[in-house]
Amino acid sequence: MPPTTIHVRPTGVPDETTPAVETHDLARLFRRSPALAGVTLRVEAGRAVAVLGPNGAGKTTLLRILASALRPSFGTAAVDGIDVAARPEEIRPRVAFLPHATGLYDDLTAVENLRFAAELMGVPGPDRPGRVSMALERVGLSAERDARVSRFSAGMRRRLALGRLLLGHPRLVLLDEPYAALDASGLTLVDDLLDFWRAAGATVLVATHADERLAGHVDGWLRLVDGRMVEAGGEGASGEIMTGGTPQPRIGALPEGSRP
Amino acid sequence: MTTVIRHLAVARAIAAKDLRAELRGRQAVTSTLFLAALTLLIFGFALGPDDARLAAAGPGLLWLAVILSGVLALGRLHQLEMEDGAFELLALYPVPRAAIYLGKALGGFAAMLALGALVLPLTVILYALDLAASLPGLVLVMGLGALGFAAIGTLYAGLTVRLRAREVLLPLLLLPVVAPLLLAAVSATANLLAGDPFGELSAWLQLLIGFDVAMLLAGGLTYGLALEE
Repeated sequence: MPPTTIHVRPTGVPDETTPAVETHDLARLFRRSPALAGVTLRVEAGRAVAVLGPNGAGKTTLLRILASALRPSFGTAAVDGIDVAARPEEIRPRVAFLPHATGLYDDLTAVENLRFAAELMGVPGPDRPGRVSMALERVGLSAERDARVSRFSAGMRRRLALGRLLLGHPRLVLLDEPYAALDASGLTLVDDLLDFWRAAGATVLVATHADERLAGHVDGWLRLVDGRMVEAGGEGASGEIMTGGTPQPRIGALPEGSRP
Repeated sequence: MTTVIRHLAVARAIAAKDLRAELRGRQAVTSTLFLAALTLLIFGFALGPDDARLAAAGPGLLWLAVILSGVLALGRLHQLEMEDGAFELLALYPVPRAAIYLGKALGGFAAMLALGALVLPLTVILYALDLAASLPGLVLVMGLGALGFAAIGTLYAGLTVRLRAREVLLPLLLLPVVAPLLLAAVSATANLLAGDPFGELSAWLQLLIGFDVAMLLAGGLTYGLALEE
């Protein structure tokens, strides 16, 4: 495996050559079992890239590491040239993350959930009501703005979680199974949002099983199997392809302190 | 200065969100209050009808009821975050860990104050306490005790909230740590009710203040660990 240099810029200000996402030999173990087992990849800024693979391939783990929700067991990951594990506080304002769980508060209304998110995201007070209303309208929940989330269906919760991503101006959007639980209009909404973020110049990573759905909405793709990258294609996505043999956990190669 | 104001605004938003959600989920509020009332009633029955005996036990049982039900209240404020993965998202907002801690602790403090405001009159009735001259002092002791308990309880609730046995672990870990607070609060309350015959009140208040400051600092510095997976 040839060594790869991560382009880490001390200021955190990306230039045109800095990839939006770069990982080198990235691994994450859960109880000694590797969810990611040495992934080296690169995604160019402004590209929308699908992260494909079967259940347990490591898609969610990859996205959670890039969102700074999870620390790598070893290897490195950088967003806009900033090391995610070393400087997570610089990553967070740049990243919008849609995890599997929606992260909504059941006992708050839709508008209260978004207002809370907007305040913590640092949306200025005077802009907040407009931004929240726009997000609710965009995801088709204006009529339910004052309804408690506990009464929402799974699809409506997903829509509201997508609306939360529209409150800020992220440079990197990470979507984990965004099509889950959505009806036909919800699926189209996700397609439209992907196009919107691409047009806005954001980099988008979409982890999904629904690869046929993404045709025309992404520039490239990465495919993970058993925590290893087995395929990279299209534009804007590249990496070290691991082929042949069964991926082996690298427990023996880990320094003692890095084991989870 | 702007940064401090922003952090305080974040803390206020988190506290307001917690209290709003907690008040709407009435089941938890009701069961917390029920536990406090039950504690006072059971000990009242155990001590018998002797007024002097009840009055002597009053300060201790007041705080026991507040703290036992407070464990439930603080645990609940963190369990709200676990309903749909909200705790992970809370950690990903671009705000300092200390501001998140302060918000959760403020919410806990408000909940403890409300609990104290409801438990105190009940204790007065059941344990024949005479508050005539000591009410302002009692309010101060209640405030200091609630602050210290919320400060350390928030930290422990955060550290245990991802664990399966959190309902058992939280009281097991928290109650030994709050022993100095319980001692100071009970002694200060007893001294206030007795008119401070030995001039010990200020020493107990100093201990309460010291505990509050130490626990707020410890929580602000270490709560980030609770947010990491």
